[in-house]
Amino acid sequence: MKVSREQKINMYRSMIKIRKFEDKLEQIYRDGKLNGHSHTCHGGEAVAVGAIEALSEKDIIFSNHRGHGHYLARGTSPKNIMAECYGKVTGTNQGRSGSMYLVDTKRGMPVASGIVGGNICLATGSALASKIKKDDIVTLSIFGDGATNIGFFHEALNMASVWNLPIIFLCENNQYAEATHREQHQKVERISDRAIAYSMPGKTVDGTDVLKVYEAVKEAVECIHRGEGPILIECVAYRLSGHSSGDLGAYRPKREEEKWRKMYDPVKKYKIKLFKENILSFEEAKKIEQEIQKEIEEAIKFAVKSEEPLAKTVGKFVYQEEVNG
Amino acid sequence: MAKIMYIEALKSALREEMRKDENVFIMGEDVTRYGFGINRGLVDEFGPDRVRNTPISEAAIIGSAVGAALRGMRPVAEIMFVDFIMIGLDQIVNQAAKMSYLSNGELSVPMVIRTPEGTEWFGGGAQHSQTLHSMFMNIPGLKLVIPSDPYDAKGLLKSSIRDNNPVIFFEHKQLYTQKGEVPEEEYAIPLGKAAVKKEGKDLTLVATSWMVKHSLEIAEDLKNKISVEVIDPRTLVPLDKDTIINSVKKTGRLLVVDESHVSGGLQGEIITVAMQEAFWNMEFPPRRIGSLNTPIPFSGALEKKVIPTKEKIKEEILTMFSD
Repeated sequence: MKVSREQKINMYRSMIKIRKFEDKLEQIYRDGKLNGHSHTCHGGEAVAVGAIEALSEKDIIFSNHRGHGHYLARGTSPKNIMAECYGKVTGTNQGRSGSMYLVDTKRGMPVASGIVGGNICLATGSALASKIKKDDIVTLSIFGDGATNIGFFHEALNMASVWNLPIIFLCENNQYAEATHREQHQKVERISDRAIAYSMPGKTVDGTDVLKVYEAVKEAVECIHRGEGPILIECVAYRLSGHSSGDLGAYRPKREEEKWRKMYDPVKKYKIKLFKENILSFEEAKKIEQEIQKEIEEAIKFAVKSEEPLAKTVGKFVYQEEVNG
Repeated sequence: MAKIMYIEALKSALREEMRKDENVFIMGEDVTRYGFGINRGLVDEFGPDRVRNTPISEAAIIGSAVGAALRGMRPVAEIMFVDFIMIGLDQIVNQAAKMSYLSNGELSVPMVIRTPEGTEWFGGGAQHSQTLHSMFMNIPGLKLVIPSDPYDAKGLLKSSIRDNNPVIFFEHKQLYTQKGEVPEEEYAIPLGKAAVKKEGKDLTLVATSWMVKHSLEIAEDLKNKISVEVIDPRTLVPLDKDTIINSVKKTGRLLVVDESHVSGGLQGEIITVAMQEAFWNMEFPPRRIGSLNTPIPFSGALEKKVIPTKEKIKEEILTMFSD
């Protein structure tokens, strides 16, 4: 599959942006500067960027609680995401969400689900809408390995299969459901094998390789455009952070973590690949990092100095006021 | 005016709204071929894309309705028995009810979940006879509609479909075959307006769903002794507090009858709403009737001990005038 040099560098830039954003955010929580908690996606950068790069602007993405990377990859400003983590009125949800339920309707990203697996049925409904309207929009539902054990997964994949819906079920298998390793929460070796139960194609790809993820999702989009229905893609990666801010992941074997960090860090891996292929020079890489670093610093400044939402607006938008017709 | 059955009134609302708006569609278990018959025949006019049989997957039915609604469709999802709604509860409570708020009004979920509840000799027992609407009153972001006759059923279903919020539309199994006058011409009943089903001056009897019929019959039976005002809130969210409060101020007596279990139920909520405004008008402490705090048993002998019956309502009213 042909990927232009420019596209490759853009993907790199996106991955760096996610990594730096999450690094910084984690530090802010550790320093006790922020209330609540967040789920950073260290190690998931290739999945977020590869999958989302393969979609077109009109496609719909249902994200989850570990969603900062998905929104950043789609182009949501780090300023607005950071401000949301700070609960400020300039945040993506104007302070009503915090880190977990981000929204960006302009980029086809409805509210992310903080309930594990909670978006899978919703995404199926979005695909159903496409089917009934006969538009060519593809819906992407992103969830983790833990979510494949919840009933929504089964109900939704079965329904999508019976109705041949235009949807990609993208499992970011980061090996851990909160603090439980996959071997302790499911017997199946490849999550993509579960697709067999729904007579849909299932594919496992290296989730630490952004181009492999991109290619798999791009192919899936093409299949869907040919009317070939839903597909399950498993991206195998590793959660390089704890489950949420404040969790150092002490339950993980040190050697396991070291191995993944050294050999399969998606950002590092991709950088080396781009160096080797002479797509990126050291100078360019450094420049990108510096630019992004600055962008993230500015996002924090923006978040800190933004206003809190006005208390009197608390009851707004519980209900929609307008009636149809 | 023609008298038609409650199920026919519902069907006619569905048909009219589906003709009017191509985004309206129906989904649920066996909606084209089985069940209580509300949807029967609609597939012939609208086709299987818009009258859609689903697997037995309540979470996916409700969740995919939410997802389709987020994309501008207006799904009417049928849950065959309200008891089954529990499988899809996350999708209602954590998803549907939160979308508008979390997106600062940018996203809306214009969907209706239609579902029958209640019993009175329906014979469904503990997992097919419950009355669960009260628990949803504790969830901001949902609208709750509960019509008690064919006229209200049609007018309220049309408004529910046109509403841009998630609406749960509670029907009662015993109401399905009840007949009532429904005009031929177009009408809709706004959500949030109670109906004074019968005017009276001695006692305010707030009743919902199947209990309205009992209440009206009792009011008729007692008319020479006690003048009973029967109020049907028709929608629980939004709740027409004013109509209830004004009635209680006038009568000085309040009895609330609802098939929910009494503990934490709608009855207590309505009494509180009324007492905050009308306490000094009261001539007798407010009373409530609901199902006892036990599961619904199968045996008729047991069931009638648990649920509100006509006899229990009448007895309670007489007690309230015993002084």
